[in-house]
Amino acid sequence: MSDPGTDSSHDAGHDVEGSETATAHEPEESLRSMLRGALREEEPPPNVLAGVQKRIRERSKGKFYADGWSTAKHPPLNTYLVTSLLMLAILIISYALLSPLVGSPVPVRNQPVPVQLIPH
Amino acid sequence: MADRRDVAAHPVYRAGGVTDADEQSERKFIERLAQRDERAFNELVELYEARVFRLLLRMLGRRDEAEDMAQEVFVQIFKAVGTFRGDSKLSTWIYRVSVNLCKNRMKYLARRHSEGEDELEPVAERAALDEAKGVTFGDVAQPDRLVEGYQIERVVQQCIAELDPDFREVLILRDLEDLSYEELSEITGLADGTVKSRLHRARSMLKANVERKMGEKIR
Repeated sequence: MSDPGTDSSHDAGHDVEGSETATAHEPEESLRSMLRGALREEEPPPNVLAGVQKRIRERSKGKFYADGWSTAKHPPLNTYLVTSLLMLAILIISYALLSPLVGSPVPVRNQPVPVQLIPH
Repeated sequence: MADRRDVAAHPVYRAGGVTDADEQSERKFIERLAQRDERAFNELVELYEARVFRLLLRMLGRRDEAEDMAQEVFVQIFKAVGTFRGDSKLSTWIYRVSVNLCKNRMKYLARRHSEGEDELEPVAERAALDEAKGVTFGDVAQPDRLVEGYQIERVVQQCIAELDPDFREVLILRDLEDLSYEELSEITGLADGTVKSRLHRARSMLKANVERKMGEKIR
């Protein structure tokens, strides 16, 4: 498995501390509680998803997360529905407005014209 | 797609008690990720962003750096998830990627710092520490000792920041993230015994440093 950013300076078999005697000690509770107290979270973690999607989109030159739809957390069903209804309404209104202008075709009567012969 | 309730119930997120069904579910999830399923990746980010950010914040000590780094971690995971063979748990692999990238960033920041730019937060003032002597976190129940408790926190934060990244890494993963020695071994790539000895040394160094700054032993 290749890991991005792997730190090659620490090989399991070649670490200088590998020869040291493994002395496993249970954590001293006072030290542990002190650590937890000092590094406790006070603010909620940020939402990084939008930033991640933006970076991937930019670096893949639009191959991934190419549009606004795919970056949404949820499928935008409401947007699809509203857009469809809006388009339908526009078509109906256009038809209603334009249909009176388009009347039935007026018949054109073509009278046969007598042919005049020009004498020489 | 995945709200908090879903996240808590997600087999990839659930801690302990891993069943065959969970493993199968994780395998399917990984397959979707490997196929570059964007929705699966969104789920992954939502599942792990808090844990990754918390780890990075503890390692780096700066919120802005941790947020930037967290985004970079997920970008690298997106790129490399196809190489994940499932030898370890997905969460362990994500920790491993996070730790490796974080250590690289720390080296970069240290280089920049040594070149003259101060990248660190202002440290706790030494004069204020004298008033915090002998105060432990157990004493901070009383309001009048809150300020002293805050000063101790600053000392501890400073001491953690002064630890070598290799020691800081095992200390945070074990004592704050509650990972097992086996997981630590997989994340760091070190032998089990080395992890234990390094952890012991990290605790000793931190304790000694805090005691030196505080002027008395930790109770």
